[in-house]
Amino acid sequence: MNLVFDIQKSIEKHYDRNAFCIGQEYHTYKEFAQIISNIRKTVRSKTEENEIAIGLVTNDDIQTYASIIALWLEGKAYVPLNSEFPLSRNQMVIGQADIRTILDSSNEKIFSEYQTITTKELNTFPVDLTPLRVSEENLAYIFFTSGTTGTPKGVPITFSNLSGFVDAFWALDYPITEEDRCLQMFELTFDLSVMSYLAPILKGACVYTIPKEEIKYSYIFELMEDYELTFSLMVPSILHYLRPYFEEINCPALKYSLFCGEALPLDVTEEWSTCVPNATIANVYGPTECTIFCTDYTYVKNAENKTHNGVLTIGRDMKNTSTIIVDKDNNEVAVGESGELCLSGAQLTPGYWKNKTKNKEAFFYKNYQGKNTRFYRTGDLCNIDAEGDILYLGRVDFQAKIQGFRVELSEIEYHAKAALDKVNAVAVAFTNTIHNTEIGLVIESEVTDTKELLEYIKTKLPSYMIPSQIKHVQSFPLNTNGKIDRKKLKEMFS
Amino acid sequence: MEITTIKEKVSNVLTTILEHSNFEMSDELTAKDVDGWDSLSHMMIITKIEEEFGIRFKLRELNKLKNMGALVSLIQSKS
Repeated sequence: MNLVFDIQKSIEKHYDRNAFCIGQEYHTYKEFAQIISNIRKTVRSKTEENEIAIGLVTNDDIQTYASIIALWLEGKAYVPLNSEFPLSRNQMVIGQADIRTILDSSNEKIFSEYQTITTKELNTFPVDLTPLRVSEENLAYIFFTSGTTGTPKGVPITFSNLSGFVDAFWALDYPITEEDRCLQMFELTFDLSVMSYLAPILKGACVYTIPKEEIKYSYIFELMEDYELTFSLMVPSILHYLRPYFEEINCPALKYSLFCGEALPLDVTEEWSTCVPNATIANVYGPTECTIFCTDYTYVKNAENKTHNGVLTIGRDMKNTSTIIVDKDNNEVAVGESGELCLSGAQLTPGYWKNKTKNKEAFFYKNYQGKNTRFYRTGDLCNIDAEGDILYLGRVDFQAKIQGFRVELSEIEYHAKAALDKVNAVAVAFTNTIHNTEIGLVIESEVTDTKELLEYIKTKLPSYMIPSQIKHVQSFPLNTNGKIDRKKLKEMFS
Repeated sequence: MEITTIKEKVSNVLTTILEHSNFEMSDELTAKDVDGWDSLSHMMIITKIEEEFGIRFKLRELNKLKNMGALVSLIQSKS
């Protein structure tokens, strides 16, 4: 398995260099190798060979990152568990992924009812980074995303998927070397985090993380200036937060500034480019199902950039991905016509974890360039122009992106209705004054106290899925088809 | 401006943005202690405070705001 061997080689080659800067403390690759070795030995002695997926409490420390590599050396997958998410949601994930063992670097165990390996205080073992020889089809991780019926769905990614991503990423020629200082701003339950730690580790560069208690956007700015970061991948919502302060920002050291996870508006990008005068700015796109990201567009300064409604194109498919745009009968549409974007290739997940119904809906086979090929429906409405650039037009369903996280609005409605006792509720995603997406909830009733409702939802959903505004209407407006007019409801928020 | 006046004004801003007043205005109060005070509402709170006091924060100053005491003295130094 080349990818994990490449990780081993890079760590061993860069012992003297810094691997991580976490909360202003540096950790060298040598230290990283020692912690990885301690964890893998313990994992080997305390878990069964047939335990495929191991839970990982997503703390911001060296042990947590070392745990990921340790599991990979042992040919096992990690399933990130955020201790700030409601316990019921984490239990659902643990149950679905058949997790029996959890790696936890917290001082006190988060999940006391499961076998926990506390990674902070392990015995020291000789350093051993040689990976077990396992199949490329073994899983590297399973990430759970919002599901429509109140149950999160698992996206398993194999080592082969991940190798496909890494290969295609280097082919973009946004190079990273051992001299680079790279931003890792993502919570580890978000797959953009994988790119943000893995690419630097593969080159012996240093990864800079964001402590959990910090306000993200201002901390990112300080890291960029004070530590002269050279490489960053961010969600565009960070730019919206920083925009009022663009005049104060000057980061000439930044060489590459990538954006992913949400629509990237051209005007903000243009303004940002003056804050990072020497950086190549790129807009990358991809769902978790197609391993991190799979299309790429390089922004061109002082020249024409393709947009739709002011949103930058997501560019073209990367090396190991094929994209098509289809109508509702899965027929490819003509150039310039809109349809649903579908993806296939080496980065594509084998399918949702133990979820036949979802797999039937989301994946299909189609003859493509003479081969029977498996495609994934992204739910994104797009068109491709004559030059092959993909323009993002919107969603075909009721999904929303909140700070880059995918949110099924119906999952919020499901839990809201459960608390409201037969009163109807609709969740909408709206754009606030700084152009970030927020969730609003409209309840079909007299004005009532919503404290209890919110308390309940908070026990079921992570914080980014909690409605930030709640409104009441006597009865929902209907559109001409007799359906609830979600557009009208959306207009109630600003 | 008097510290107590500043505190009162800040408290009003918090109540308006967060739509509740379940917090004590002590110097040690941090965002973590207050329901709903996350990145998004933080942005809105800061903007509202800037409006109320007719001041402007620098990005770097925002990072130094470890608690309510720090926020109040920063406002005092600027207004």
